[in-house]
Amino acid sequence: MEKPNDDSTIAVGLGEIRICSDPSKVLVAYGLGSCIGLGAYDSYRRIAGLLHAVLPISNGSEGSTLGRYVNTGIPALIAQMEDAGASRNHTTFRMVGGANIITSPGFEELLNIGDRNINIARKVLAELDVEILAEDVGGNAGRTVHLYIRDGKMTVRTLGQGEKEL
Amino acid sequence: MSDSANTFNAHLLSILEIMAREGVKNAARGLSGMTGEQVAVEEPEAALVSFSELPNLVGGPEQEVVGIYLLIEGEMSGQIMLILPIDQALELTDLVLDRPIGTAKALSSMERSALAEVGNLTCSFFLNSISALTGLSARPSPPAVMIDMAGAILDIVVITAGGVGDHIIVLRASFTKGDREVQSQFWVIPESSVLTAIARRGWAPDGKTK
Repeated sequence: MEKPNDDSTIAVGLGEIRICSDPSKVLVAYGLGSCIGLGAYDSYRRIAGLLHAVLPISNGSEGSTLGRYVNTGIPALIAQMEDAGASRNHTTFRMVGGANIITSPGFEELLNIGDRNINIARKVLAELDVEILAEDVGGNAGRTVHLYIRDGKMTVRTLGQGEKEL
Repeated sequence: MSDSANTFNAHLLSILEIMAREGVKNAARGLSGMTGEQVAVEEPEAALVSFSELPNLVGGPEQEVVGIYLLIEGEMSGQIMLILPIDQALELTDLVLDRPIGTAKALSSMERSALAEVGNLTCSFFLNSISALTGLSARPSPPAVMIDMAGAILDIVVITAGGVGDHIIVLRASFTKGDREVQSQFWVIPESSVLTAIARRGWAPDGKTK
């Protein structure tokens, strides 16, 4: 599969939201574990957005930390897409991540964080009347996701399993 | 960040480095005993690191690594993560299991148990030393052994830190074996309440309060 070069990638770090409409660029969230990567793409105006949310629910998050939580990050991603000129009618959403990396007993707090992130994401998206076009979620392995702004292609890479298109 | 916050942090980081110095040496002694090889350790370094910068401390978020993870319970609560590149983790299991280097090809349950024991031992040695020095109680939880992308493994550290603030304090030390750096990192992430207590108490290197 083609590899984007370093100049073309825009890394979306923990708790960040990035919106981009430059067709030469690729949005990337590296090594998603229990985190959620939610990609939005307006195929008509070629505007892409990627959210890298860490925790399921915030209690009163503001400003730059909105993207850290699934429940505040999703509305913020949608709002920022619309601010950039995207239209809801032409925008599709794909979701990646929410793995349970730690499976040993004794870490109950952490055991289901991936599942909780997925469940909250589904709930918030349903409340906003947003459909998920495709997803690769759950399991026990980390993922890297690429979202190509040129054509909206989204790929997922997992260690030992290579890269696939979503 | 304000100047007073920076001064506070600089002060706290230097206290932590002094506190951890004997602890990591003791952990290296434990590891030497376990592997039958002379394992040394570099001076520990405490740093205030932003969440997004964390994976860069171990070669980037897509780097395949082994993480041995424990929680610290007691007055000195926090997290400990040992991070090793996969080839070094395999070599370490051969040393611990007393087999020729190169025997382990993958992390099956036996190799995982061996790495869990490495985690148990280094953390117990480290925490015993810290407790003796500070009088604070600290016990390690059973370890979890993970193999994945660094980013995925470090999500756990960020989540346990509760997503509070943008930065966490990480205390890091690298083990070395002979001339070779083992590239194994020993991370300690104290809970923020513990940090506040340490700073307030004005803990001095001789173990007495100021």
